[in-house]
Amino acid sequence: MVNKDVPAKPLIIWLGTNTCAGDMLSLLNAKDPGYQELISSIAELRFDYLLGASEGSDAINVLDDLQKNHKAAYILVVEGSIPTRSNGLYSVIGYRNGKAWTALQAVRELGAEARYVVAAGTCAAFGGIYAAAPNPSKCVSLQAVLDRKVINVPGCPINPEWMMGTLNHLIQYGEPALDDYSRPKLFYGETIHNLCQRRDYFDNSIFAAKPGEPWCMYKIGCKGPVTYADCPVRQWNGEHLSWPVKANTPCIGCASPEFSDGNVPFFEHLPDVKLPGIKVTANRVGLWTGVVTALGIGAHLMGSILTGRLAETLKKDLPGGSKLKIRPRLKKGHK
Amino acid sequence: MNWKKQRHSGTVRLLHWVYAPAVLALIFSGLYIHSPSRAFGFKRMDSARKTHAVAQFLLLNSYLARICYGIKDKNYKEIIPNRKTLKAIPEFLKYEFFLSEKKTKYPKYNPGQKILITSLAGLIPVQMITGMTLYFKPLQRAVKAAGGLNPVRWLHYLAALMMVSFISVHLYFTLTNSLKKLKSIFTGYA
Ligand code: SF4
Repeated sequence: MVNKDVPAKPLIIWLGTNTCAGDMLSLLNAKDPGYQELISSIAELRFDYLLGASEGSDAINVLDDLQKNHKAAYILVVEGSIPTRSNGLYSVIGYRNGKAWTALQAVRELGAEARYVVAAGTCAAFGGIYAAAPNPSKCVSLQAVLDRKVINVPGCPINPEWMMGTLNHLIQYGEPALDDYSRPKLFYGETIHNLCQRRDYFDNSIFAAKPGEPWCMYKIGCKGPVTYADCPVRQWNGEHLSWPVKANTPCIGCASPEFSDGNVPFFEHLPDVKLPGIKVTANRVGLWTGVVTALGIGAHLMGSILTGRLAETLKKDLPGGSKLKIRPRLKKGHK
Repeated sequence: MNWKKQRHSGTVRLLHWVYAPAVLALIFSGLYIHSPSRAFGFKRMDSARKTHAVAQFLLLNSYLARICYGIKDKNYKEIIPNRKTLKAIPEFLKYEFFLSEKKTKYPKYNPGQKILITSLAGLIPVQMITGMTLYFKPLQRAVKAAGGLNPVRWLHYLAALMMVSFISVHLYFTLTNSLKKLKSIFTGYA
């Protein structure tokens, strides 16, 4: 139903684009405030792609109404990355005037009139899994298709409190302090590694050799040192129960802008090098560099010995070198 | 009286002997941080990290001092390859690949040394920037240009591998090319 009244509470649109729905499901686990409190006393969730009861034109009309009659009064939350191939046809929100209304059009149109635009999850914030190679639908982040500021709340999925906290901050105090990636510093101000309970094991080089062991996960690819998020202190499941390292698996850096292509293989320290036709691990690159250097030096040394250059240097430069009995040059001397 | 021409001034030697051990310490501690193994000479991550931190400041300061000295004394001209250096490369390579026996005399450094030293001098800022961005959050803008912290880690690792390779080549040639020139980095005179 089209609603033209002035809303008593802030309005929220939660739009799903190319997403697995994990972020919305995660938000449902929020506690203090919880999801129920959010929709009953804090804000009005006018549109939610996953939980909305209406469908078809009824649902799309709600968005039309918000865009036309509630300019700068709603918060647009987008979950998922935005496909740009074939004018965005790889994600369709619904039908408008009988035509497919793509996610690309929807976020541009709704985003232009929103008070705040929030990217929920790593896919919306940075492209994430849907933008991973070979990226057949040419997915990009929300910011890449909007020319206004997007507040990024990455995570795969988001911690319920990162989103609940960001929404409440926007509603009660306005925009929170953001870092260079436009993430609220409140939640992404420190590396996981610096907050980790197993940091002492790291400093003392007590490492797990496989997942399931209760030591530092560094040697099996933990991305905690290169991931900004407060998982170790906030923890998950609403009740602050656990987080990946506490559950004895390495952090996979899901809140990082390079996730997932830049973080795979998850159980390796560094990503593989991918060149056309070949894929090499970082350690192999190190090994080959060493081998090539050693072979180069070895070959030159051999050449210097065989041609007598080395002998000449020693004879010339060593004190008493002229008396040295070293094999003569194979070739003629310098001209 | 010493009638020989000085090859390396006291300042050059002093700075060389500050940054050379610093770079070696950075390489070994860095490799340990990359892949903790006792083969790199450390038992605990904490000591590897502390070594890395102290050595990086020694390198940073000696490197900056060397740049200032190079500009003040204009000796950077002896190091940075110029057009003449590039022209001399084919002849130099012929000699080094044993295709010619004609050993050309160069003013101070041969084209290979010039390229090697300049490459090392260019790699050090890469290490400084990538290392600092891994360490300090305020440098996130640089991280953004690289596509994230893990790619920065890769860059740091790759530049370290290149440094290891270049330094091995540098050590090999200093030990086998001319022992007199090798002596000059200690005494100043060849
Ligand atoms: S488990 Fe991961 S985040 Fe924790 S100390 Fe080890 S490397 Fe750092």
